[in-house]
Amino acid sequence: MTPDNHADHPTSDLLAYWLDELDEASAAAVEEHLFRCDGCGARLRELIQLGGAVRKALLNGRFATVVTPSFIRRMQSAGVRVREYHLEPGGSVNCTLAPEDDFVISHLRAQVDDVRQIDLVIDDGHGGSAHRCQHIAFNAATGEVTVIPPVALLRSLGHDRQRMRLMAVDKSSERLLGEYTFNHSPYDPRG
Amino acid sequence: MDSGLSIAARGFYAPPVQEIPHDVDADLARRIAAGDPEAEAPFCRRFAPRIRLFGLKRLRNEAAAADLVQDVLIVALQKLRAGAVREPERIASFMLGMARQMMLDSMRNSGRRERILDEFQIDLIPSEEPAVDEPNEGRLQHCLQALPERERTVLVMTFYDDCPADALGTQLGLSTGNVRVIRHRGLQHLRDCLENSEVRDDA
Repeated sequence: MTPDNHADHPTSDLLAYWLDELDEASAAAVEEHLFRCDGCGARLRELIQLGGAVRKALLNGRFATVVTPSFIRRMQSAGVRVREYHLEPGGSVNCTLAPEDDFVISHLRAQVDDVRQIDLVIDDGHGGSAHRCQHIAFNAATGEVTVIPPVALLRSLGHDRQRMRLMAVDKSSERLLGEYTFNHSPYDPRG
Repeated sequence: MDSGLSIAARGFYAPPVQEIPHDVDADLARRIAAGDPEAEAPFCRRFAPRIRLFGLKRLRNEAAAADLVQDVLIVALQKLRAGAVREPERIASFMLGMARQMMLDSMRNSGRRERILDEFQIDLIPSEEPAVDEPNEGRLQHCLQALPERERTVLVMTFYDDCPADALGTQLGLSTGNVRVIRHRGLQHLRDCLENSEVRDDA
């Protein structure tokens, strides 16, 4: 990694330049600078490469993450094939992953418009180990939490049950927003 | 997009001509103008990565950026050889101006490019671009999983298709500034983890 030893958070500025966030004069100034400063050029190339690696890891299904419904639409419009499951609180679904699926998406519906913080708790559905994802991103206007499970892991599963819970958290307490059960089976082409 | 984020006023990217005690770029430009063919390859090695980065930013396409590198270097060498660059000490600005102009040049076509390329005996896109270590896949996976949830979400949604902070804020119900703060923290955490994590290197 290139040391980030310039003042004024140059990495943030370089990323803002790359993402077209700068006003015209600032973008032109960065461009001019990059034609003289190979250190900043290396730092920007490193950022671009890191971004590409994150994208590749996502597409390879290497990790789980929470996104938004609009992000799923962006993926689909780019040709990514997704299998989607929509669950209401207390709901369960029989789910699978076909060879041609790039992703499985879990849409967890919940009343989230008066909630400041949501934690996502994932367990194995048999009372086993639980993993708590604190303070996940969500947009109250969508009325759901959108989860991308790690596809690489799903492909390795046999028959399995997984449970997700959404917890509304405030300073002194928490309450259950919904519980969602996924009964996973390996893909069967006979349906 | 012009969302008004201004950094120029802070002076970080002030014209850095004075910052360079020995301007290698200008020296090479002067040598080429004086007829020294030995200066052309190092000149191209220095400017090719800069033009390529500019092209990637503007075109978002590796092949098109590579074409731009060739086009700009060809014209630059022609002008330098002909003594048509009046201020070699401002060669970086000259090259950037040409890159910008070539982006707008609708006269280019592949036949013309190939004909001109044949006239040049040096490799115009040298392979000596500064190497950037690609993150180890297993280590990156570990570090992404170790990120706080919101930072992972913001980084993934940013990098998936280079989504700017204002658009991402709209999707997530966050302010643009908040997205930038989360993104900055997430990047810092991710880079720290990639630098310091000892695990998963064998994945």
